[in-house]
Parts: sequence; structure tokens; C-alpha cells
Amino acid sequence: MIDRKHTPDADDEMLLEHFRQHPSGEPPPSLDAFILAAARREAPTPAPSLWQRWLHACQRPRWQMAFATVAGVALMIGLVLRSPVPEDHSSPLASVEFSANRQEPAVAAAPPPAMPAPAPIVRMAPQGELARAPASADQALLEKPAAKMSKAAPAALPTLEQGLMEILRLREVGDSKAADEKLLALHKRFPKEDLPARLEALRQR
Amino acid sequence: MPAALDSPSDEALLARNRNGDGASFEVLYARHRQGLYRFLVSLSNKAELAEEIFQDTWLSLIRSATQPQGRASFRTWLFQIARNRLIDHWRKHGVHNPLHDSYDEQLHVQPDDASSPEQQLSLSRDQARLDAALQALPEDQREVFLLRLHGDLELPQIAALTGAPLETVKSRLRYAQQKLHRLLAEEVPA
Repeated sequence: MIDRKHTPDADDEMLLEHFRQHPSGEPPPSLDAFILAAARREAPTPAPSLWQRWLHACQRPRWQMAFATVAGVALMIGLVLRSPVPEDHSSPLASVEFSANRQEPAVAAAPPPAMPAPAPIVRMAPQGELARAPASADQALLEKPAAKMSKAAPAALPTLEQGLMEILRLREVGDSKAADEKLLALHKRFPKEDLPARLEALRQR
Repeated sequence: MPAALDSPSDEALLARNRNGDGASFEVLYARHRQGLYRFLVSLSNKAELAEEIFQDTWLSLIRSATQPQGRASFRTWLFQIARNRLIDHWRKHGVHNPLHDSYDEQLHVQPDDASSPEQQLSLSRDQARLDAALQALPEDQREVFLLRLHGDLELPQIAALTGAPLETVKSRLRYAQQKLHRLLAEEVPA
């Protein structure tokens, strides 16, 4: 008969406690040692912090090389794409000398058809003519290759002298209206220039 | 045994071990080595087989990156791994799995004449008799009793681990206790 004073839970605990009082075996020490050694051997490495990971990545040579390569390429691209420094228009004489100095080696170095003129030189050519005195022989020699190089550039405007020659030609063929329009256009481009005097000088040459 | 209130839980220790804290595993191992080993020895009734399964269980836990899923506690998870390993061993070696027997507890119930207080206090303390009494239990009753004894698992946890309905687990435990009382007390004078 089941004693009503003893609940099933109490019976359960009493029986369990009775068995627990009697040790029924332990894992052998060798088994303990084997399992603990395996746990130490195969323990996952602690995850490094974000700062440690970044520092570790920076210490790797391939990162240094990659960073140096990217920096070098960026520097080269920056130098190649750098726009030319605007010229100082307040000193026309300096511009003339600078322009002439830059044109001479360019002309001497390569034949004009094979080497198109660099854009900055083409743009500076009219400024050189602005300050020039009526044509001298050596400057005329310099102007010829420069003119050829200017023609080679698709977007280059005719020089002042070319414009004046064109006006003279138009007047000679009797197209005075077109000649006047050309003169007006030249005047807009070269407002400080005494165009009639230059025309007269050219006509008399 | 449950961990003390001020000590980290099994689950916290396992998580710390997964993050590289080797000492956490040693604490976990110290907590559960004895209960798991005794459970396996009593369930398989073979010390060598119990040691093999015990080692496999801990090594699989060491090499696994998983954690107990859902509401399962570490203890339930550990005993479930061990139980599955033992069943796999029986299956692999062609041993009939006694835990999968359909067992009608009612047919094995005998009148419990040994549950009086006097008889309960005079249960046999002979280790050999305790072991023999355990081995005399039907396998599924023995499994439930051993999970309760060595795993310190609650009945719902045992039900989840064994995949048996909770009422079935309750009845298995009740019948196991009745039989153990009878076997351990029958030769003691009342």
C-alpha cells in the first residue's frame, strides 16, 4: 500500500537521494586528461578586437604594397591631369620671352607635321604677337612653324597676321563687306591693337 | 547539480568557450563529467562502451560550433548527444535498441508492497543490489530514472529529450520507482 503521507515527489527525491549516496563510478583520470587536452588543443582562438584586426592588417606587407601602389598611381594621375597655370597677362614681354623659349625647342625637336603643337603653346601664340613690334626676320621664321602647328590644332583660331592677310585678300577681290566683318571680329579679339595701321603696314610690304 | 547562483550558467560558459576561453570548458566538464559518465554506465551496463560514448560526446561538443537550440538547456543538450551516440552505436553494431521498444508499463507493474516508511528507510545500501535493481528495470523506465538521477533533468526536459509524451515519462518514472522500492526492500524485514 502506498503511504498517503508520502507524496510521489517526496518518494522520488528520497529514492534519488538514496542512489546518490552510493557513488557508482567516475570517469578514469586518463579519460579526463585526454578530453581536457583535446579541448585545449582545439580551443578556438579568441576573436581579436576591431583595433587589433586593423593593426594586424596594416602590419601585413601586402597591405603596405597595395597602399603605396594606390597612392603612387593617384599621384601620377593627379600630375598628368593637372591643368596649366594661367598666364599673367600684366607682363606681355615676359609672355613673349616665355612663349619664344618654349617654341624653339619644340620646333627644333620634331618636324611640324609629325608633332601637333601642345595646347598651351597654341593659346599663347596670339599673346606673343600682341606685344610684338612689326615683324622682324627671325621672328617671322619662328612664326611659320608656329602657324603650321596652329593649323594642325582643329580648334585653333587664325593669328592676327593671318586675319589681317585675309582681310587684305578680301579687299583685293572686292569683297569689302566680308573684309569689314573680319576686321570687326579681329577688333573684338585684339581690342588694343591698331588694326588699321597693321593693315596698312602689311599692304605696303 | 545546478550551478550556484553566483556562478555562470552552463550556457554562458559554453558561449565563452566558443569565444576562445579555454577555462570555461574545464568548468563545464567538471560540472557534468560525473553525471554523464554514470548515466552512460548505468544505461549501457558496459564500462568500456560508456567510456567510448562519453569520450565521443565531449569531443563532438569540443569540435562543434553549435549551441543548444531554442529552450533546451546545456544539460539536456549534452545528455541528448550522449543518448544519440549510444543509439547510433547500437544501430551500427546491430544491437537491438531497447530504448525503442514499445513497452506496456501496465503489464510490468507489480503490487508495490514496499512503500511504507519503515521499508523506505531500510532500502538496501549494497551497491551491487542497487546496480542489479537498476538493471532489472525495463530499458525505457531505466532511461527516465537515470536521466532524473544523473542528469538532474525535470520531467518536461526528459520528455523533450526522449521524444516521449510527458504523461508517458511520468508513468515510466512512477513505475520505475515502484519497482526499485520493491527490489531493494523485498528482503528487508518490515
